[in-house]
Amino acid sequence: MVTTGIPKLDDYLGGGIPPGKTVLYYNHPGVEGDIFIIHALYHNILAGRKSIYLTLSSDPQIFREEFMSLGWKIEEHAEKFILIDAYSSLIGATSGEEYVVDNPEDIGNIDRIVRRALDDSDENLLLCCPLSAIMDLCGVEETLKVVVGWNNMVGDRGQNIIYHFTAWPYPSEVLERIKEELFNAVIEIGGIRERVIFGQYFAVVKADWTRATGKTVLFKVVRPGGVRLYIPKILVTGPFNAGKSSFVRALSTKSVSVDRNNTTVALDYGHVDHKGMSADIFGTPGQERFDPILRMLSSEAMGIFLVLDSTRPRDFERAKKMLEMARSYGLPYIIIANKQDLDGALSPDEIRRRFNVPDDVPIVPTIATEKKGVFEAFELLVERIMEDK
Amino acid sequence: MLDYSLGIPEVDEITGGVPKGTNIMLLGPPLTGKHLLIRHIIYHTIKEGDSAVLVSTRDTGDEIIEWFSEYLEEEERSRIGIVDCVTKSLGKNIHDKDVVKYASSPVDLTGIGIKISQFFEEFIRRRQIPKTILCIDSVSTLLMYTNIQTLFRFLHVFTGRVKLAGAIGIYVVDEGMHDDKSINTLKQLFPAVFEVKTDGEENHLRILGLGSKPTPWKRYEIDGVEVVIKSGE
Ligand SMILES: Nc1nc2c(ncn2[C@@H]2O[C@H](COP(=O)(O)OP(=O)(O)OP(=O)(O)O)[C@@H](O)[C@H]2O)c(=O)[nH]1
Ligand SMILES: [Mg+2]
Repeated sequence: MVTTGIPKLDDYLGGGIPPGKTVLYYNHPGVEGDIFIIHALYHNILAGRKSIYLTLSSDPQIFREEFMSLGWKIEEHAEKFILIDAYSSLIGATSGEEYVVDNPEDIGNIDRIVRRALDDSDENLLLCCPLSAIMDLCGVEETLKVVVGWNNMVGDRGQNIIYHFTAWPYPSEVLERIKEELFNAVIEIGGIRERVIFGQYFAVVKADWTRATGKTVLFKVVRPGGVRLYIPKILVTGPFNAGKSSFVRALSTKSVSVDRNNTTVALDYGHVDHKGMSADIFGTPGQERFDPILRMLSSEAMGIFLVLDSTRPRDFERAKKMLEMARSYGLPYIIIANKQDLDGALSPDEIRRRFNVPDDVPIVPTIATEKKGVFEAFELLVERIMEDK
Repeated sequence: MLDYSLGIPEVDEITGGVPKGTNIMLLGPPLTGKHLLIRHIIYHTIKEGDSAVLVSTRDTGDEIIEWFSEYLEEEERSRIGIVDCVTKSLGKNIHDKDVVKYASSPVDLTGIGIKISQFFEEFIRRRQIPKTILCIDSVSTLLMYTNIQTLFRFLHVFTGRVKLAGAIGIYVVDEGMHDDKSINTLKQLFPAVFEVKTDGEENHLRILGLGSKPTPWKRYEIDGVEVVIKSGE
């Protein structure tokens, strides 16, 4: 199977893109969706698959360097990566590429060169191209007719095409056709807006080989690294001295605490970057006099870690109250059974019984000061946040 | 006075300023200093404490920053965001910086749009600067690489974003480079026109579509970052 280069998206697609299938990234303007194509190209090139990109708006050399800006080297696999250059002639430059489109405003010319490139390879091939850019140059209907031809061709041969489409305000029937009819799978890449775009998401709108549609995931782009699933706010709460600040520190690549005399008076903040996922986490103070801060911090949170000192069951009532304060929106949460290294620490099972924890809420044993168990806990909570959507 | 002004008191007094969400076409023949007018407006905006995003199809980001460094402090320059459509199109590889982001080429409307959005997020959302302006210098160059429908769609999206953000937009169009049909198509997107003309020796400007009636033609000169209005017509 062809990979999208984004593990979570591959999961949603049932493992990847089966032979012969076409995928469209339906990208709302202003959102960084073009990078999804680079992910796909890079990971398929690495896997030894011949991969082709048709470039219309970028110099071929500049396009190759995009990989470098993400920290990815492709020189060693140069023979696997082929560019169809439809850009150079557009700006009147000469091309050094093997496949060149002399007249990019002529869909017939593009069609010929693309078909030649497809003919020159076996079934183990991925073609990526910018659909809206072709439409803009060659005309909407003319382009879509040719695209249907390509889709049929790769369908028969078991090759794959991934299209990138910027959803400019084309006529709505064109947008609908593109979203619903022409491709095996459509993945929407959009922005969360409030005056300006401040968050980006992708969602599987359809995939005709699997039922896993409707999944929505927030992401951001980091350089180097590329697309990261992103959780803007995870809350870490729990009673006084349970180990919340230690937990935030253990998870974070960057962190700050606003502490006085070793107790948190405002908040802990940390940024986690782990296995293609990233999150900002906020630790609350544990003492009751800071409860207004807990309420404030919990607005807009997407998930909660409730940290317990496993040796102090007498604090569990307080923990319950804190959870209720923070969970007014029914957020996914998991329980951290911290300080497992101390004598008298209750086991997760005992905590479940005494705390009356529902069966579907995980309890993860940790030793925050030794970073033990913290990343397992992170993965579990992220999983629950994603499934919740 | 309304939310924004152009920094030309003789004109702003008549129009009463520019309401937020306004998209303005800056229209005039080549060599009338439209380019410098844009820089003046950006300078004025920055001096007001606001921010500015400039999409440049002619000068590189570095050139523009260097030009402004004569007039603005570093903190002030950090409120300018430049979308450079030139450098990479010449095959020169370079990574985005805080004040300059690079689109692949003037053909790369998808990339230009992403960079504009990133600056909007940075200024309005992250740095909480309430007011910002978007300048595209120039629409005419973009039209050399793209047809009018395509550019119309692009501008349709971003004039909309300007409204949503409560910003204002200024779009440079060279007169005489496009047919009337194209100009009229574009005018649908721009309720206001900042018009300049030349009589061979001197330049004149006026504003249409702001305030109750057009401002009278005014003679002007540009001195560094200042627009100087001369007395008389
Ligand atoms: N032995 C052991 N000590 C821990 C563990 N986690 C935290 N501690 C210690 O417990 C104390 C409190 O940890 P913090 O992380 O400051 O706890 P907190 O929940 O942020 O406390 P407040 O902000 O005051 O509510 C510190 O002395 C930590 O070193 C653990 O897993 N094992
Ligand atoms: Mg603390």
